[in-house]
Amino acid sequence: MTKQEQVKAIFIEEAGEIIEKLDIDIIRFEENCSDFNLLNEIFRGVHTLKGNANAFGFTRLGEFVHHFEDVLDHYRSTQESIEEYNLELFVGSVDVIKEVMNCELDAIDTLPQSYDGCLEKIKNLISIKKGISDSGVEQKESVSELKNLAMEFGLSCVEQQQNSIEKSIKEAQAKQSEGLSLYKIDLTLDTDCYKRGFDYLLFLNMLAQKALLLESFLNMQDVVAIDSFKSAENYIGKVSVVVLTPHSRGEVDEFFEFLFDYEYEINLITPPVAEIIKAAVKPLAKAAKLADSSSINSMSSKSTIRIDTFKLDELFDSVGELVIAQNFIAQNEKIRSIDDESINRTIETLSKITKRIQDRVMSLRMVAIKDTFDKMRRVVRDTSKKTLKELNLIVQGEDTEIDKTMIDSLSDPLIHIIRNAIDHGLESDSNERIKAGKSAEGSVTLKAFHKSGNIVISVSDDGRGINKEKVLAKAIERGVISGDENLSDAQIFALIMQPGFSTTESISDLSGRGVGLDVVKTSIEKLRGKIEIDSKEGEGTTFSMILPLTLAIIDGMLVRTADEIYIIPTLSVVESFRPEKEIVHILKEKGEFVSLRGQYIPVMRLSDVFNLDAKRIEPWEGILVCVETEGGRIAILVDELVGRQQVVIKTLGKALAMLKEISGGAILGNGDIALILNVDELRPLVEAVHV
Amino acid sequence: MEFNGDILTIDIDISMEEVEEFEEFVRPRIDYIETIEVEEDGALKSSALISLLVSLKRAKPELKIPFLEKGVLVSQKYGTIHWICHD
Repeated sequence: MTKQEQVKAIFIEEAGEIIEKLDIDIIRFEENCSDFNLLNEIFRGVHTLKGNANAFGFTRLGEFVHHFEDVLDHYRSTQESIEEYNLELFVGSVDVIKEVMNCELDAIDTLPQSYDGCLEKIKNLISIKKGISDSGVEQKESVSELKNLAMEFGLSCVEQQQNSIEKSIKEAQAKQSEGLSLYKIDLTLDTDCYKRGFDYLLFLNMLAQKALLLESFLNMQDVVAIDSFKSAENYIGKVSVVVLTPHSRGEVDEFFEFLFDYEYEINLITPPVAEIIKAAVKPLAKAAKLADSSSINSMSSKSTIRIDTFKLDELFDSVGELVIAQNFIAQNEKIRSIDDESINRTIETLSKITKRIQDRVMSLRMVAIKDTFDKMRRVVRDTSKKTLKELNLIVQGEDTEIDKTMIDSLSDPLIHIIRNAIDHGLESDSNERIKAGKSAEGSVTLKAFHKSGNIVISVSDDGRGINKEKVLAKAIERGVISGDENLSDAQIFALIMQPGFSTTESISDLSGRGVGLDVVKTSIEKLRGKIEIDSKEGEGTTFSMILPLTLAIIDGMLVRTADEIYIIPTLSVVESFRPEKEIVHILKEKGEFVSLRGQYIPVMRLSDVFNLDAKRIEPWEGILVCVETEGGRIAILVDELVGRQQVVIKTLGKALAMLKEISGGAILGNGDIALILNVDELRPLVEAVHV
Repeated sequence: MEFNGDILTIDIDISMEEVEEFEEFVRPRIDYIETIEVEEDGALKSSALISLLVSLKRAKPELKIPFLEKGVLVSQKYGTIHWICHD
């Protein structure tokens, strides 16, 4: 990759992040359109996007955001309240930005249909607003003229200069991006500074070396008339410097190390995010002066770096190897037999350090689910408008952390489930809700939490719930089930995730096409997770996605068969037991079955699946591990249960990758390799279904 | 430094010593000077020059100093420098 391509890749990534944030912020702003701090934040995002888009020749995107920025700038500078229809235009504009960005990336000549219409509306709006605000400018100018007159009559110019400094800070904030710090530096050099070899210009020159923006304001109030003036003395009482620079606080400090402490004061302007937090904590302080209330304090900034996830994966792999090597040392009989306390203590220390490194590296991949949940606000808003259903979105546990690689694959299933909950779950008519003793507005709850070493993400609605009889009837009609089965509630609800299954009478463009929930199920299973549905008729439905903490590590049950160790993902395991002889049945051409609580479960022998040369044992001589698969439950016959442990998943070579019954491998503590079973692929080997 | 009739022209890039010399020159002649022009070809070398110009303006408000009245100096060396010289 050339340098230019690398820079472009960074731009694309950053632009994607900005657009994602815009999408979230615009909805938050729609909810509270008097939050001008948030509007400033949106403006800054659009401003950065404009600069970057034009720099990389994405002119169509550049043009659109340029005009959008003008509109935002008008509202943020005038703090004029925003009309509802214009809010709708803002939301639509962010949609256009997303679409145009895709066109630019894929080099598609045709622009999205909404581009021209939306751009025209923006241009019209800005021309209307400019027409109105021009008279406002005139008024301001006349005020300014009066101010100048007042100053000529001897009034202080400090206020005017303070305003200019505040304006400069705001402009610098709009240009601020990652890696740049904004400082306000006040220099008050002594009158003898020239004799000491210092001049304000010396410091301005040093600061200007790497600065993206440098503005300074000389306070000339103390300059005396020529009668008593001496050029060798400094009369400039104070110089305020606003600088946007990649220099750290320490580096900036070094510029002034030869000055007296009282001659300089460096203030780091807090980033915009901190402004928002502050505004939320102290809303009453909003009216106070910007310099006092929001922007200036000496809080140190949180330092972050951007790392390629590929590098992170490599690091994770290396740590995996380290854990294996450490386990090997800890479990090696020869090493353990060494009767030396210092060696044993060192091994113990190594074990602790390795665990700590593993935990820390793991945490690098973990990100809060908040951003994904924030994106869902837009989905809820749009679906609510389309279905004309008033509802509240309740979000809980948004700080729950989840593997970064999993986050990206979660959006689509979540979007579908949420749409489904609003479109089908909630009652169409508020009167129907009131009759059922519910509030007129429906509610959808999005929740994330930890449970038994897994992450659970659930979507609940307080709607009409799932009609079990209707589901069963439909399943029988479609031939999904015969009708003789004794299915639990969970199994009945799970039927709605079968391909092509839909109980809805009318198909909308949101959901109910019968192709959604099975795709959701497949997506979640690809993440080695599972989806459960719980519903009470008249009360509502909950979809719970149960996911492993990470994709790189699996919680597995280690089993032995024919002297080989295999790993069964614990998430699939329902129970394990040694069966009584009486409950094991052999049906001609159908194989072996175990009768468990009225259900006949096919028995699967791993020695048959992998053609292992092993002594054939009877099921009641071994252990049956009952697992849940796509095709239903199966019982895997193993010689013994070895234990349960977390293992680092290793991909297999080309030859073994052909075996669909195996999803990966893992290196055990003693250095042995164990294969991880893909339980869903074990099922087809048994021809029989429930009998 | 050039003195042409009522107009005194100085260079912007005069050193501290030259500012002091300029101060000595202009102090007794302030009544005869109507305009001070600053040639902005170079870079400002001493902030004392701005102070001196403000001081002259303060002593004789009708003195025209276009450079000072702009209130701003933009340069690559120092960024943007603003000042207000209202009395």
